[in-house]
Amino acid sequence: MNLAIQIVIGGLLQGAVFAVIALGFSLVFRVTGVINLSQGAFCVLGALLMYTLQVSWGLPVMIAAVGASLGTALFGLALGAGTFVPALSRLPTSSMLVLTAGLLTLIEGVLLVGWSSQPYALPPFSGEAPVVLWDIRVATQGFWIAGIATCIIGSLWFLVQRTTLGMALRACAENRMAARLMGIDVPRMTLLSFGLAALIAAISGIAVAPITSLEFDTGRFFTNFGFIAVAIGGMGSFIGSVAGGLFLGVTEQLAAGYVSSLFANALALLVLLAVLLWRPSGLFASGPVRRTDVRDEQRIYRAIVRIEGRGGVLFAALAVVLLLALPFIFPSRSILNSLVITGILYIAVLGLDVLMGYAGQVSLGQAGFMAIGGYTASILAVTYGVSPLWGTLAGIALSVLSALALSFVTLRLRGHYLALATLAFGLLIDSLTVGMVDTTGGPSGLAGIPAFAIAGIAFATPFAMYYLVAGIIVVLVLMLQGGMRTGFGRALKAVRTDQTAAAALGVNVVRHKLAAFLISAALGSLSGSLYAFYFHFLSPEMVGAPRSFEMIAMLVAGGEGTLIGPILGVALLTLLPTVFQPFALYKTFAEGALLVMCFLWLPEGIFGALATGVRRLVRRAPVAMPERARL
Amino acid sequence: MTEAALAIVGLSKAFGGVKAIDDVSLTVPQGSLTAVIGPNGAGKTTLFNLVTNLYAPDSGTVAFHGVSLVGCQPAKIAAMGLIRTFQAARIFPGMTARENALAGAHLHLRAAAWRHMLWFGGARREEYDLVVKADALLELVGLASFRDAAATELPMGAQKLLEVVRALMAEPKLLLLDEPAAGLNDAETGDLAELLRAVRDSGITVIVVEHNMSLVMGVADQVVVLDAGAIVASGAPKQIQQDKRVIAAYVGAEEA
Repeated sequence: MNLAIQIVIGGLLQGAVFAVIALGFSLVFRVTGVINLSQGAFCVLGALLMYTLQVSWGLPVMIAAVGASLGTALFGLALGAGTFVPALSRLPTSSMLVLTAGLLTLIEGVLLVGWSSQPYALPPFSGEAPVVLWDIRVATQGFWIAGIATCIIGSLWFLVQRTTLGMALRACAENRMAARLMGIDVPRMTLLSFGLAALIAAISGIAVAPITSLEFDTGRFFTNFGFIAVAIGGMGSFIGSVAGGLFLGVTEQLAAGYVSSLFANALALLVLLAVLLWRPSGLFASGPVRRTDVRDEQRIYRAIVRIEGRGGVLFAALAVVLLLALPFIFPSRSILNSLVITGILYIAVLGLDVLMGYAGQVSLGQAGFMAIGGYTASILAVTYGVSPLWGTLAGIALSVLSALALSFVTLRLRGHYLALATLAFGLLIDSLTVGMVDTTGGPSGLAGIPAFAIAGIAFATPFAMYYLVAGIIVVLVLMLQGGMRTGFGRALKAVRTDQTAAAALGVNVVRHKLAAFLISAALGSLSGSLYAFYFHFLSPEMVGAPRSFEMIAMLVAGGEGTLIGPILGVALLTLLPTVFQPFALYKTFAEGALLVMCFLWLPEGIFGALATGVRRLVRRAPVAMPERARL
Repeated sequence: MTEAALAIVGLSKAFGGVKAIDDVSLTVPQGSLTAVIGPNGAGKTTLFNLVTNLYAPDSGTVAFHGVSLVGCQPAKIAAMGLIRTFQAARIFPGMTARENALAGAHLHLRAAAWRHMLWFGGARREEYDLVVKADALLELVGLASFRDAAATELPMGAQKLLEVVRALMAEPKLLLLDEPAAGLNDAETGDLAELLRAVRDSGITVIVVEHNMSLVMGVADQVVVLDAGAIVASGAPKQIQQDKRVIAAYVGAEEA
């Protein structure tokens, strides 16, 4: 009995932190309609700043805590003013979600550079000795967490519900245009909500740091669970966020205590998927209903990037020649190695491109399909001696089936929930690969995977693998080019930009979204299998959730909605760390920064900028509009 | 009178307390060009949205060649041959004018996507034929020079015409045009009238919602006047022009 009470208390404490993060999500969502995935990173930033101030500089606890909280809030305000607020008026909401994923990566990059990758733990605020109440031991920090969480929740409620400022915030949530007309400075309110969310995240991070071990990427954990809490409770609902957080904390701790800590995450995610399926808007009535029928043409506008006619054929021929010649131009083994990895990842990113770039659906779980493909093929090869080719095909089949099953959840969902269901899926696969130790080898990975082979011909060297991957890429790009330039691709693009108009022309919107999703799953799976066969080893972190975010950064940086563009993004983020070793530390930062900068200033990506540049150079004049037509 | 292409009986729709469409009954003969006119807020666009089931009606029926459209998915309605355009031209951004036109032919694609992916000859020929057809239509309405321009960069009038071209690529049996002349100047409106007549003469039934009286009176076989959600009058253009109720509700207000 005592154990159960102990677990529940632990769960409530954990849940209190989730609840505060969920409140941050709710706050920003209510004001902007965007789910800010960078939320969790502010917890870690606050805690690590606290570590520096308290432990390294020896400041008293309270001063350090105030300093760290304010420091994080200021950083949040600066980041929000530089990225989030200007982007909000330019980008469609789906891109905003991806942008905040970029911010999450960016802050993680900052943390990695500033505090490196070791784990940190803060000393408890008031000593190590636990308080014993009726035979139940409670760490003193628990009282701090409970108190601080209650204070945050209470004062936030007071601010939002009882003050003029809160009324202005709520007005932005109800109707941005009307709020603006009433003289409310909407961008400022947006920034305020962003900074406030950062502040409460920092305080909760500082409070929980003494009982949790924190690393630069622990922010993901907070983001995931805060988000799951808010999705269970009801997006934008104040009570829902708190209840969802506490419920999730207790469930998680009970699962960890009585089943296995390895499956605690999986359980939380299954709860989320069940809620999404059964009651997509959460268990509690959520806040204001946002209008989804308003089209915002400017924000979905995208320039057309294409090299036409003879130029295109010439370009393609050059690209193939370059592809064949690369191993001879760069004979260095490490560069060849990076080239192979670039090629393999490009296959998965191509899949993501069909889904995101063409059909306009955001997936935050592409690495989940890499994991399914990689593990299926490897386990079949290692344990059952199935040939790599059949293993790969089996992986693709399983991925497509999983995608179909997931689509039963997602196709009913709109907008954000769809992207978030894929995030949950990716994390679920993540926790399964970690948890199923007997089958997958768990966190330490699966070793002894053979080289890829077709009909007895093994591709054992990087050199052989390079040409295999290059061949697959040429075939895939040609196939996708054939599909995307004709009816199927046009229908996908139509669905991306205007579902109503697409349906009015007879396009079956659901079927096209599904087709794009299945293609992306299949390509992700193929990429995952090749990845495992190339490394002869597969561990969860090679195909984990951060990989999904990385691939989105690659796609956006390279250029969504083009087939060739993404390879530039993949190459940039894969080759640079190889070529400039010191760059490796800055890789996470660069990923986040690149994603954010591309969204803000280079919406067509590197390829888009290059293609426009080349076209201007060739025509020696800006692309001129034809003269006004006679009607 | 020939077979009815569209039969609307007792259609009603209220938004809150406002009766947007109030007990509207309307028969559109096969091969005719019907114009629906009326002042702003009369419910013309709502009528279209009810017919294409973007909104579900509160009561009443809509039958297209005898088949009920109530509860049908928009894509299914399109597949039956009923194609509409939108009041604000909803061309697809991120595509060229030609691609927009080609997107209209979606229902008539025969070759499966995988055949295109494998670059089969038959699929490529089909695509080529569609391109020829799209180019011919763009040429016909004077958009040939815009062919490879991004559709969103076209002037408003051209975008509206492009939307008509896209709808025509779908080879509709019944074409619903929502204010195609909005944003067009007088000369362009004249050209549009020519186009509408040609479309009707090719056997396509047309219903056009319009503000522009000169367009309507010039080409329509039947004019239906809508005011405050109800039909005030209907008949041949000549009749309508002399109808006192119409003048009171609409024309009079404009000339006063």
